Amino acid sequence: MERAPASDRSRFASTLAWIAAAAWLVAVAGGLAILWKYASTPAAAGVPAPEQWPAASAVARAQDRATLLLFAHPRCACTRASVAELARLMARFHDRVDARVLFWTPAGTPRDWNATDLWTSAGRIPGVTVLRDEAGREASRFAVATSGGVVLYDPRGRLLFRGGITAARGHEGDSFGQERIASLLTTGAADRADAPVFGCALEDEPPSRMARAGTLTTDRGGDR
Amino acid sequence: MSVARKALEMTRAATEAIVQRAETRYEAHRQEIFRSADRMFAGLMIGQWIFAIGIALVFSPYAWQGKVKTVHMHVWVALVLGAVITSLPVALAWLRPGEPLTRHSIAVGQMLWSALLIHLTGGRIETHFHVFGSLALLAFYRDWPVLVTGTVVVATEHLLRGILWPESVYGIPNPEWWRFLEHAFWVVFCISFLILSCRRSQTDMRVMAERGAELEALSENQWRNSSVVERAAADTRGDR
Repeated sequence: MERAPASDRSRFASTLAWIAAAAWLVAVAGGLAILWKYASTPAAAGVPAPEQWPAASAVARAQDRATLLLFAHPRCACTRASVAELARLMARFHDRVDARVLFWTPAGTPRDWNATDLWTSAGRIPGVTVLRDEAGREASRFAVATSGGVVLYDPRGRLLFRGGITAARGHEGDSFGQERIASLLTTGAADRADAPVFGCALEDEPPSRMARAGTLTTDRGGDR
Repeated sequence: MSVARKALEMTRAATEAIVQRAETRYEAHRQEIFRSADRMFAGLMIGQWIFAIGIALVFSPYAWQGKVKTVHMHVWVALVLGAVITSLPVALAWLRPGEPLTRHSIAVGQMLWSALLIHLTGGRIETHFHVFGSLALLAFYRDWPVLVTGTVVVATEHLLRGILWPESVYGIPNPEWWRFLEHAFWVVFCISFLILSCRRSQTDMRVMAERGAELEALSENQWRNSSVVERAAADTRGDR
């Protein structure tokens, strides 16, 4: 069999390399698009948060300033960004808001369920109290079904804001949720009172089935 | 033919030979740099892939639905998309080192690695330094179009993401159309100086090649002009 001249083979190899490069670009663009879509898809809005602070709630509400609750799954990697953003918010507004991070603690889980870096990080934020949300009862009361979900109430217990404080799933940086909270705390008004939430689901079952009364264990970082 | 004319033609031929020799030396030097940078980036790409998998496994191993855990999307992304991004630059660096397609693929791949690492680390501002570090590394090629390719990838990624999911880039849903230019500006600022440096390096390389060629020609000329006896004596002494 006659072998193709070197220049032909070289041209063929070059064409093949260009085709491979084009296919590679398409594959990479497709992969990045899937990733962006995943990161930018918020959790379903779900049930609206109560307009008034729930009477059954065991969480203490500040009387002289706003109260912010951040609900967190202790093992959700995406919530790390929410905690980081909460730290930024508290650095700006620690004198205008009391913040509590409630870690979802399902029934029957071992004592070290909450022993995660998220708990430690949240506990280190000045002005933030870290709590165990036993069986997610408080999350149900405030109708928060996604880790990273935030509710903000004024001193009279009226809902100011509900939603997330990150711009994408597990993504640090400015977000419109954060901007709206900042606006509410400084001017008392914002263009909207909600924002999408990005994070892991807090319960295995729909929130309606979890709406039941319960207790709350308070902690400031030591006991988990 | 007059002696003067003959001398002129000989000088012209000698000059052309030196220019040709300088060009060959310059190209050989460039190829050496391209191939060496290709090898470096092939290693770096594999290193970044391993690093990305490590980050995903350490910081986001699982996604949770209540008490139910599943392998986090980041782990798959680091494994699969990381492998895809790494594949072509490494394959080309191995199969076609020194070629323009190889270094431009590497530039694209390296900037995509910046995007992926930024994503895997949750958009941490510190990881954005990878973009500028990568541009500096791409300057190792001393070939400024490679930097332009890298910049185009960064700008395109920002532009597309800014159009499709603006809040993931700028933190607000309706940014001004020119916001991506603000981000791209700093990249352009960085590469402007890197391009200057590349061009200066190329000029230096060319000067070095010309001097080398002149020295080679002089040395050869000297050897040709020496007598047969001197050459034989030099051979015996092992001078050459």
